[in-house]
Amino acid sequence: MRSYLPVARATYMIGLVYRFGFLFAIVGNLVYLGVAYYLWKSIYRHSETLRGLTFNETFLYVGLGSAIFILLKTYADWIIHYEIREGAIAMYLTKPIDFQIYALFANLGSMIMNVTVLTIPTALIMTLIFKVKFAFGPGLFLFPISLLLAFLVSFSIDYFIGIMGFYTESVWGLSATKEIVVTVFSGALIPLQFFPEAIQKVLYWLPFQAIYHTPLMMMTKPDQGLNIFLPMILVQLAWAAILFVLARLFYNQAIKVLRIAGG
Amino acid sequence: MSLIHIKGLSKHFKILNRREGLGGAFRDLFSGSYRTVEAVADISFDIEAGEIVGYIGPNGAGKSTTIKMMTGILKPTGGVIQVNGLAPYENRIRQAQIMGVVFGQRTQLWWDLPVIESFKILKEIYKVDQTTFDKHMGLFNELVGLNALYSQQVRTLSLGQRMLCDIAASFLHNPQVVFLDEPTIGLDISVKAKIRSLIKTLNSERNTTIILTTHDLGDVEALCQRIIIIDKGRILYDGDIKRVNALFGAYRTLKLQIDNFTEATLQTLKDKLTECFGAGHGITVAETEEFWTDVTIDQARTPLSDVLSFVMKNFQVIDVRIVEISMENVVRKVYDGALG
Amino acid sequence: MRTLGEYFRLYIIIEAQYIKARMQYRADFIISSIGMFFSSLATLGVFWVILETVPDLAGWSLMEMVFIYAFYMIAISPMQILFDHAWQIRFHVQQGTFLKYYFRPLNMMFYYMSEMFDLKGLTQLVIGIALLIYSSIQLNLDWSLTRFFLLLMTVFSAALVQISIVVAASCAAFWVIDSYPVLGLAWKLREFSPYPMSIFDGAFRFAFTYVIPIGFVAFYPSQLFLRPEEVSSLVYFSPIVGLGLFAITYWIWTKGVNSYTGTGS
Repeated sequence: MRSYLPVARATYMIGLVYRFGFLFAIVGNLVYLGVAYYLWKSIYRHSETLRGLTFNETFLYVGLGSAIFILLKTYADWIIHYEIREGAIAMYLTKPIDFQIYALFANLGSMIMNVTVLTIPTALIMTLIFKVKFAFGPGLFLFPISLLLAFLVSFSIDYFIGIMGFYTESVWGLSATKEIVVTVFSGALIPLQFFPEAIQKVLYWLPFQAIYHTPLMMMTKPDQGLNIFLPMILVQLAWAAILFVLARLFYNQAIKVLRIAGG
Repeated sequence: MSLIHIKGLSKHFKILNRREGLGGAFRDLFSGSYRTVEAVADISFDIEAGEIVGYIGPNGAGKSTTIKMMTGILKPTGGVIQVNGLAPYENRIRQAQIMGVVFGQRTQLWWDLPVIESFKILKEIYKVDQTTFDKHMGLFNELVGLNALYSQQVRTLSLGQRMLCDIAASFLHNPQVVFLDEPTIGLDISVKAKIRSLIKTLNSERNTTIILTTHDLGDVEALCQRIIIIDKGRILYDGDIKRVNALFGAYRTLKLQIDNFTEATLQTLKDKLTECFGAGHGITVAETEEFWTDVTIDQARTPLSDVLSFVMKNFQVIDVRIVEISMENVVRKVYDGALG
Repeated sequence: MRTLGEYFRLYIIIEAQYIKARMQYRADFIISSIGMFFSSLATLGVFWVILETVPDLAGWSLMEMVFIYAFYMIAISPMQILFDHAWQIRFHVQQGTFLKYYFRPLNMMFYYMSEMFDLKGLTQLVIGIALLIYSSIQLNLDWSLTRFFLLLMTVFSAALVQISIVVAASCAAFWVIDSYPVLGLAWKLREFSPYPMSIFDGAFRFAFTYVIPIGFVAFYPSQLFLRPEEVSSLVYFSPIVGLGLFAITYWIWTKGVNSYTGTGS
């Protein structure tokens, strides 16, 4: 594992060079926060609490969602597609490295860069400018763990899509569909509590809520007891493990096919 | 009036000195310090219709910059440049009608379309009438058998086939001047021969002026009557190829990888060569990148085989390559006054 | 010089070939269209979910939101279909392949954009038209010839606004390597276009009306048809806004194209 650390460091350093981009990314986030603020204020015009959440809680949920969005956005699907298509995959096969782990660490480096430059400033802006109130509770401590697990789940899904893209020779369509499905049904856009009961029941069985909803709830209502949080974390862990293994198996299968087909 | 007239041409670039960090990026947006790079300093030459001119020089010499000014992409900083009587930069679209351009590696044809469709689209773009179109397509087929490639998508072609198509395409609209940039790069000898023959025939059939930029001296020898050598933004030589030919033909470079190579080894090699072959041996030794030593030999004075066996006997040689003289070495020789 | 008609004819010839070539990738076309279908409806889905919980969004009912959304879909289709190549500018610029666009006797933006024709954008257009018809019927809107003409005019202007914003953002690639977030911002703004402007006040409303006028992409024009009494006369000037913005974008493009010197020397 240690030998992969330089990979993470490399992608982190690349992030340092692209300062202009980060400036704009922060501006972009600010605009999003502003629009979300107005939108939800307008929605909460009618009542103090909706579906068990106050305006402050919902805005925190949505705002934080935008802050961690860039963290959880892995490009594993495009990396795979590109590498397989360009045949660069052959290069990795001949080296004593594990491609999946390699891709994971590559993402990790840029993820850490994004935390420093995007997530933290966004969180600060939320507290200082939008006067969002953060509550306290055990949820706050579980948040980082939950975030890490969420990253793993997101990564594995993207990885999976990337390999599927290799079979169908079309990554955009799959990626876009996955993007929408994940964004809408994971709580990245609106808290899952707003969905009709029936749909919510289905959603809780899918891995998507493990990406946004779970970690966001830790911060939104951190004072809920451990008996609520621990099962959520375990679900995340389960999904992370299952998906990581599935992606790996799928990848090995695809490589076998690639080797036979040649090219 | 010459087709291409260039006098006192210069091009300067202002490069921003970037500051560090996020704060630096912010400040760069508002105020910055610049440094000036002189890519082309003071260039003058005239080219007449029908000439095939080799425009050569090392990387970073200012070749591409001059070409970009001739094709109207870059605005000159100073001097005069006229192609067919007009300044290229101010008349891009009009000039494009009388010009053809080919980039060695990157195709100008439509990637996903069959070859013939690219030609048909070009016919529309350049407003080529049907008669001219048919005549040219017939000529291309006669010269390189283009018909066989018509239905293939450009992206399925081999590099050589693509180059032939790109070159043919650049002549389709009967341009007055065609700029060829590295037309034979990465190709094997037989394809290179085909391409050179195509270029030469098209030049004589249509009296098209050809400006050739290349690192391949075989191209230059086969095609050009005139050579312009540029280095560090200035013209080093402008004249008949015969004089420079004498420089290329007899020279060969022996590339060596010597075990346990140190600074001292270089000097020892030089000394030993003088010792063995005498003072006027015409051999130059230089260390190039990554452990390779270039031993450039003037075969008129010392046979390569002699030098090779000498070196093998006296030094621990791990790897050997024999190449024609490189562009860099030619320029160095011209600098050193080899052309008098 | 070429006339507009000649350019149009040339465009048809090029795209006919392009479409023929792309149709070979059937699986990609189908999957992309499906992906487009879902992306198109995501925001509408969000509105639907919200309007299940609250009676109206800033005073707008669900069906009115559908109309605004439909208008939005139609307005963004031309950008999607005709200017999709804008997303690749940064790649061409970095790899040096952008140079080839200088060498033809054609307007460069025309030549560059004509290289891609996004078929899956047609899905968006069709969905938009379908939803517009549906919501019109549900809302009992009457369509006179004048109103229909106004619709065409506002869609045209809205499309220009959308095109201008995204293409201008993509031009950042001419100057900086990490230009993607600029496009990202433009895209986010696009996603906010179907939101009712009435939820905003102060700086945001000013910005979205006068600075980066995404309000003109869907909301203000829709007001014209849904609540004509509330609409400000600004809307009747939309073509000026659209054309003006496009002129600015074209100016930015020209500046970018002139400043790009390519890689290597």
